[in-house]
Amino acid sequence: MEYILHLFILICFYTLLSQSLNLSAGFTGLISLAHAGFYGIGAYTTSILSTQFGFSFWLSIPLAMFISGVISLIVSLIALRTVEDYFIICTMGIQVILSSIMNNWMDLTRGPLGIPGIPSISFFGITLDSKMSFLLLSLFFVALVWFVLRNVSKSGFGKTLLAISEDEIYSQSIGKNVYLSKTVSFTLSAMFAAIPGTLYAHYISYIDPTSFTVAESIFVLSIVIIGGLGNLTGSFLASAFLVLLPEALRFVGMPDNIAANMRQIIYGLILVAVMMTGKNGVKELFTSKAKRTA
Amino acid sequence: MIQIIANILIASSLYLLLANSFSLIYYPSRIFHIANAAVISFGAYFVFFFANKFSIPFSVSVALAIVGATLIGLACEVLVYRQMRKKNVPPLAYLIASIGLYVLLQNYISLFFGDDTKIINTAEVTVGNQIFGAYITTIQIITVFVSIALFIAVNWFLHYTATGKSIRAVASNPELCNIYGISSSKIILIAFGIGSALAAIAGILTAMDTSMTPTFGFNLLLYGVVAMIIGGIGSTRGLIAGALLVATAQHLAAYYIDTKWMDAITYIILILFLIWKPLGFSGKRLKKVEV
Repeated sequence: MEYILHLFILICFYTLLSQSLNLSAGFTGLISLAHAGFYGIGAYTTSILSTQFGFSFWLSIPLAMFISGVISLIVSLIALRTVEDYFIICTMGIQVILSSIMNNWMDLTRGPLGIPGIPSISFFGITLDSKMSFLLLSLFFVALVWFVLRNVSKSGFGKTLLAISEDEIYSQSIGKNVYLSKTVSFTLSAMFAAIPGTLYAHYISYIDPTSFTVAESIFVLSIVIIGGLGNLTGSFLASAFLVLLPEALRFVGMPDNIAANMRQIIYGLILVAVMMTGKNGVKELFTSKAKRTA
Repeated sequence: MIQIIANILIASSLYLLLANSFSLIYYPSRIFHIANAAVISFGAYFVFFFANKFSIPFSVSVALAIVGATLIGLACEVLVYRQMRKKNVPPLAYLIASIGLYVLLQNYISLFFGDDTKIINTAEVTVGNQIFGAYITTIQIITVFVSIALFIAVNWFLHYTATGKSIRAVASNPELCNIYGISSSKIILIAFGIGSALAAIAGILTAMDTSMTPTFGFNLLLYGVVAMIIGGIGSTRGLIAGALLVATAQHLAAYYIDTKWMDAITYIILILFLIWKPLGFSGKRLKKVEV
C-alpha cells in the first residue's frame, strides 16, 4: 500500500513537470531540454533554505519559484535568440551548465555528496510525514497548476502562444509581441517546474545532482511528446503510463536492472514512433507547421 | 606547458574527427543526428565484443566493429529518417526522433554490456612515448594521425569525386538535385554511411585511449557538435578552428580552474557563440535560420 502511494506521488511530480514543460514546448513551440535544471533549482533552493536557514516549506516554495524564474529569465534572454534545432541544443547546453554547477559548486550544493536531512513539510503544526498526507498535498498542487495552465491556455495570452507556435512571423505581423510572449511562457514554465522540485526535496529528504541531469530532461520531454504537445490531460496520462511501466514490467517477471533499461527502450521507441507517424496530438501542432515549412 | 599543448592537439584532432562525422551527415540531410552518439558507443563496444569475448584478432575486430556500427547508422536513416522524409514532417521532428533513437540504442548497449566502465584490452602494453618532454601514448599518436588523414581524405572526397560533389549539391539544394537526376535519398544514405564509420572510429580510438561506458558517446558527440557550430556549417577551415578552440578552452580550464568544469566551459563557449556569432567562424548562413 505504501509503495502504491509512492507511485502515485511520483505520478504527481511528473504530471507537474510535464504540464509545466507543455506550456513552453506544447503551446509556444519552445522545445526545451533544460527543464530538469529548473526542477533542480527548485529542489536545491528549498533544500538549502530549509537545512541551513530553517525556512518553512510555505516560505521556500515562492522563493524557489522566484529564483527559478529569475534564472530562466536570464536563460531565455540567451536561448530565445536561437530557433528550432539550435534552441534545443542551446537549452541542452544550459542544462549541462546547471548540472555542472550542482555537481561542482561544493560550498553551495555539496556537489555529488548531495544535501541530506531535508525536513518534512509541516502544515499549521501538523507534520506531513505519512505518504497519504503527502499525496494529498501533491494532488492539491497538481490541481492548482493544472487549473492555472488550463486557464492560461484558454486566455488571450494562450491563444497568442498557440499562434506563435503555428506561425511566428504572421503573429508578429498582426501586432503580437512574439519575443515578450515567448519570454513570459518560458519563464512561467520554469517557475512551475520549481514546484515539483521543492515537493521532491521535502518528500525524499535527500537530493543529489543525479536527479537533475540531461537524461531527466529528455525523459520529461518524452512525456510531453508522448502525451501530445499542448495537451495537458495527455501529459498526465503519459506520466502515469511511464511511471507505472517499470512496475508492469516487473509484474511480468522482469528483473529490476533489465526493467530499468526496458522502460527507456520502450519510451525511446514510442518517441520515434510518435515522430514518425505524427499521431497522438503531435499531429495538430506539426501538420500546421509542416505547411509553413513546405 | 608542452604537455598541455600536446593534450590540446590530441583532443582537437579527435574533435575534428567527431565534427567531421556529424557535419557530413548534417550537411546534406539537415538532420541533427543525436543518435550518432550511440553509433560512437556501438563502435567501441563492438570491438570489445569481438576482441575480448570471441578473441578474434584485434585488427579484424576493429574492421568488423566499424562495419557493424555503420550498419546501425544506416538503419537509422533507412528505417526512420527516410520514412519521415516521405511524410514531409517539420524539421524539429527529426531531432526529437533522433533523441528517441539515441535513448533506444544506448539502452540496448546497457542491456547487453552493463553500465560499468569497460576497457578494451589491447595485447601490447602502451608505454608513454616522450616527445619534446610531453608524455604521449601510442594510441594518442594514432588518434592524431588517423583523424588528420581521415579529415583530408573526406575533404578530398567531397571536392574531387562525383559522389562527393553530389553530397555538396544535395546540401545546397536537394530538390534541384532530384530534378537533375541525382537521387538525394541515395546521396544522404552515402553520407550517413561515411559519417557513421567516422563516428565509430572516433569511439574506438577514445575507448582504447581511456575507457568506455554506454553513455560516453553522448559527450563526445556534443563536443563535435559544439566544434561544428562554432566553426560554422559547411566550412572546412571553420571545423579546424572550432575543434582547436573547444580543445584549447577545455584544457586551459582543466589546467587553471579544475577538470570538472570542462563540460560547463564547452557549453559556455557554445552559448557565447550563439549570442554574438551565431553563424560561426565561417559566417555562412544556414537556410533554416533565415525564415
